[in-house]
Amino acid sequence: MIRQVIQVENRLGLHARAAAKLVRLACRFASSVHVSREGANQRIDAKSILGVLMLSAAQGTRLVLLIEGEDEAEAGQAIRRLFEERFGEEN
Amino acid sequence: MTEPTVDPQPGVTVWEFAQDPNLGLRLQVLQAGEGMANWIRSPRIQKLGLALAGFTEYIHPHRVQILGGSEINYLQILKPAAKKAALDGLSGLGICCIVITRGLEPPEGLLKLSIPVLGTSFQSSVSIARITDYLEGRLAPRMTIHGVLLDVFGLGVLLLGPSGIGKSECALELVLKGHRLVSDDCVEIMRHGVDRLVGAGGPNLEHHMELRGLGIINIKELFGISATGRNKTLDFAVRLQRWEKDAEYDRLGLERSSIEFLGVSIPLIEMPVAPGRNVATLIEVAARIHLLGQQGHHPAKELLARLHPATGNN
Repeated sequence: MIRQVIQVENRLGLHARAAAKLVRLACRFASSVHVSREGANQRIDAKSILGVLMLSAAQGTRLVLLIEGEDEAEAGQAIRRLFEERFGEEN
Repeated sequence: MTEPTVDPQPGVTVWEFAQDPNLGLRLQVLQAGEGMANWIRSPRIQKLGLALAGFTEYIHPHRVQILGGSEINYLQILKPAAKKAALDGLSGLGICCIVITRGLEPPEGLLKLSIPVLGTSFQSSVSIARITDYLEGRLAPRMTIHGVLLDVFGLGVLLLGPSGIGKSECALELVLKGHRLVSDDCVEIMRHGVDRLVGAGGPNLEHHMELRGLGIINIKELFGISATGRNKTLDFAVRLQRWEKDAEYDRLGLERSSIEFLGVSIPLIEMPVAPGRNVATLIEVAARIHLLGQQGHHPAKELLARLHPATGNN
């Protein structure tokens, strides 16, 4: 299992389209992907759009990702890249 | 399912406590001081009587302290010096806040102690009941999980399983059969007391549901108030999983699994999903079985007892 902490960097935060991108990406992997706000007692499935929307993670929010499964390494990298590229929405 | 970890010690600040209309006491801040950020960490209250009489050892700083008619009358019969000593004895105990009930005037000198003082027009008995009830809800250990919570025949049924297995579709079908949706996708579970789990929708989600192909829908708008509920005590969980040829499933209904949240176990049914298996109907039947079980009936055990009277249930 991989545990990584990612900070939301893009200005708009995990808004609808960014959330949809994250969910679509997570769904491509066989591994389970769970996400929660750092320090919060929650376990939200990153493959479900409602859950990710409910996080209402604004810019600067720190999220904990828990990825578990055969392709966890690739999934972890891909998701990290998505956050680092700010969901492809800023130059 | 090792994570998530349990919250650090839960608490409510005095400020939040004083402002929240859900408390239902219409609290007024009589003295704020610097203590409005103090933490209340126990749902139990204390009455200040013994502390005013000089016995302060049992004062718990993180409990709300009640000052009612009897305490105030007691202070009034004291001589001024004794009264001042009684009140001064309260400072330095770390008391988070004091609530004066029945709209009584705060005793002279109390407001100088730099302890937050709140006032309500309600009697002590009502105030204590509402404060305890409110704080029990607010301070209950809680966690958020991925799942769907439904009210099926009055039972709280928690649907679990990986995303894409069809939890929402199953929930929709149960709503169409007349049952109620409490929450789709995210369920906040709270432990009330030591043995009861209560589930509710995640904040802001209300009764929205995502269906692949349709996107996000609102069950309350589409199906009305009777198709939804706000919270529900959890009675049992059903975990949907893909049917695997080699996996072994319960054929008799004698084995009982369970799943634990916040230290409380509830029965768990492992439910294989495959074409031709109408999961909503199966869950409805599971709820009926659970209701029968609550009255002491157990179909599998009863059949076996009839077939093999000598061996009983085995």
